[in-house]
Amino acid sequence: MSSGTPSSTITLTSSDGVDVTVERQVAERSVLIKNMLEDLGDSGEAIPVPNVNEAVLKKVIEWCTHHKLDPPSAGDDDDSRRKTTDIDEWDQKFMQVDQEMLFEIILAANYLDIKALLDVGCKTVANMIKGKSPEEIRKTFNIQNDFTPEEEDQIRRENEWAEDR
Amino acid sequence: MSKRCRSDFVEDLPVQKRLRSAGLDNTDRLSSLSDELLLHILSFLPIPSLIICQSLSRRLHTLAGDSEIWKRLYYSRWVLPRARRLGTTKSTRFLRSKIEYSPNVSTWLDHGHLTEDGVVTNWKRQYRLRQNWAKGACRVTEVELVQSPAVPLKLVNLCAGVVFTVEHNNLLKAWVAKDPKCCLASIAIADQAQSVVATALASNYCPQGRRIEVFVSFQDGSLNIYDYDIGSSRLGLRSSYTEVADGHITAIASFPSYLLMASRHKRLSLYEIPTAVEIKSEHPSFKLPRLVTSLRADSIVTPMALSIRAAGSGIISSIVYSFFHIGCGWSLGIQELSITPTGEPVKSRLVTTVDSQYGTGRSSLHPNALRSHDSPRNRRLRPPSHPAIMHHDPPTSISYSHPYLLTSHADNTLTMYLVVSNSNELYIKSSKRLFGHTSSVSAVQVSDRGKAVSVSSQGDEIRIWELETVASTLNTKKSLEAENSIQVSPENKQSIKTRSLDSAAHTTLHDSSEPGEPLDGTFVKPNTQDYIGFDDELVLLLRERGIDGRKLECYDFT
Repeated sequence: MSSGTPSSTITLTSSDGVDVTVERQVAERSVLIKNMLEDLGDSGEAIPVPNVNEAVLKKVIEWCTHHKLDPPSAGDDDDSRRKTTDIDEWDQKFMQVDQEMLFEIILAANYLDIKALLDVGCKTVANMIKGKSPEEIRKTFNIQNDFTPEEEDQIRRENEWAEDR
Repeated sequence: MSKRCRSDFVEDLPVQKRLRSAGLDNTDRLSSLSDELLLHILSFLPIPSLIICQSLSRRLHTLAGDSEIWKRLYYSRWVLPRARRLGTTKSTRFLRSKIEYSPNVSTWLDHGHLTEDGVVTNWKRQYRLRQNWAKGACRVTEVELVQSPAVPLKLVNLCAGVVFTVEHNNLLKAWVAKDPKCCLASIAIADQAQSVVATALASNYCPQGRRIEVFVSFQDGSLNIYDYDIGSSRLGLRSSYTEVADGHITAIASFPSYLLMASRHKRLSLYEIPTAVEIKSEHPSFKLPRLVTSLRADSIVTPMALSIRAAGSGIISSIVYSFFHIGCGWSLGIQELSITPTGEPVKSRLVTTVDSQYGTGRSSLHPNALRSHDSPRNRRLRPPSHPAIMHHDPPTSISYSHPYLLTSHADNTLTMYLVVSNSNELYIKSSKRLFGHTSSVSAVQVSDRGKAVSVSSQGDEIRIWELETVASTLNTKKSLEAENSIQVSPENKQSIKTRSLDSAAHTTLHDSSEPGEPLDGTFVKPNTQDYIGFDDELVLLLRERGIDGRKLECYDFT
């Protein structure tokens, strides 16, 4: 870290060339940006975020602002995290976006290394899959069925054991 | 089906076109994610959804079947609850690290066998296997074996997925356990002309060299040792010894480089067996097996169970036999022999289940109650209370895999004893009758991981017992209510059921026309001597079918 008190705001440049100013504390929810700031020192220059467009970047910042006071995520693979697809109310509202945006957020969270946001995004998708029939899921995500009828039959037999759970 | 396919087709084509031209919605965004992200999403799904995802597309089929995801599910379904239970029943607090998921399987309780080097575990398969055992779901295949009716002995052995049988024509055969119709190798154990009769068979897996040692004993007291090479599926005679025992060998148990045998003349002998290398080095005069120790018993009554296990640096060989006690009926005696790593016998001690059957258990034992060289007859006087466990008939079979000792009985029950054996003492900690069967139980087999399989002579009922769960509810009210066992229900049973009913009727006829040998006045020994063998994936059952026919049944849980 450079000498002197780090400035309280930094500027991020989206992939479509728009500068967005954010509180440093908010931006540091992203491990990528946090590491960059630590490595490069605080030059005051705008940090390019080449993979994220303005709309998505703003959305991500909105989430980071809301969660800026969250404690840093404990142990990165604890079991309780995985057990539940419960999402807190604010996050649920936040994730009420179209599919395009949802997946863009997941990609951005992955790129920017914001684990908690990535989890929220993935859980949202998991919830879209849960309890649906294969046909409903295919329709939801436009997934192409690339199996031959024989293969479908084989898979059905392969997974028969799990049916009457 | 065809209708759906057509509508898909009609819908999908324009989608693809629009996608390319306008880049608008209807893209498969899910599938365009990287494998890593997709796995992350899938890791939040419960099993039914994962199974559904497998049927969506080829890529999702692979990803939703990912071994790491299933490993985690396996852990939270099978390992974690047990770790928690042990954590609460034992007062010692478990280290948190043991409870929390760790990708390192060696930290999981009792999963050491899955950490073998170079073996990749398919965790979905493992999960399914465990689930099937828990539900008793399996697939059964049968094969007819014709055996000499004169030899009603357990000449079947299951070891490392290979079944060894000795047939009446004196052929030792190795079979694929999963497919009993597939014979891997066979070797003649005696000249056809010779009238030798094989009496017992034992086998054990030697991890070094990936081979299985097979021991066959004969009526005249001689013994042959064979090696089965797993890689090349070859059976070969290693050595042959005559007159190792004083006559008819009735039972043998083996452990790498040791062999325990009991003869009809009630002599129990423990031998150290020369290894294949030693034999080669002293060619042509084969090094003889060294007699470590020998005991003469005066009260051994069949059924009995021989076992050898590693204990600390040495080994412990034991014989469990049944005897009649005037107070509490048929009881068991356990005779234990400890051997140092150099093969010297250290001590021999004995315990009986009498105390336990009276329900007095451990607490009533005073310090010198462990009469290590005592005969079961010189027992001190008991309080004249009625025994809690009383068997009027001898057990139909005994199986001992430390610490679990199980007996099966003609009165539809099993009895479980928990044996404690440490450097200071040997005693029976507790006992419990297990209910569940609805007809006479003809055989039971217990494994070192606390799973037991029992079979009833009539009605084709096979039950699986998780003894650890049973033991943990001992002496509690819950034990009375708890459902202790699962009945095996093969999915392809229907076709077999009708046939086996036929043959069951046949057997019954045979039984009545030719009464079994009467024992102690009232009891008629069941004519069938069933063999049960099982490993992690399957149960093998040998039963009598008809007069001289025997049937090998394989219940596959994968």
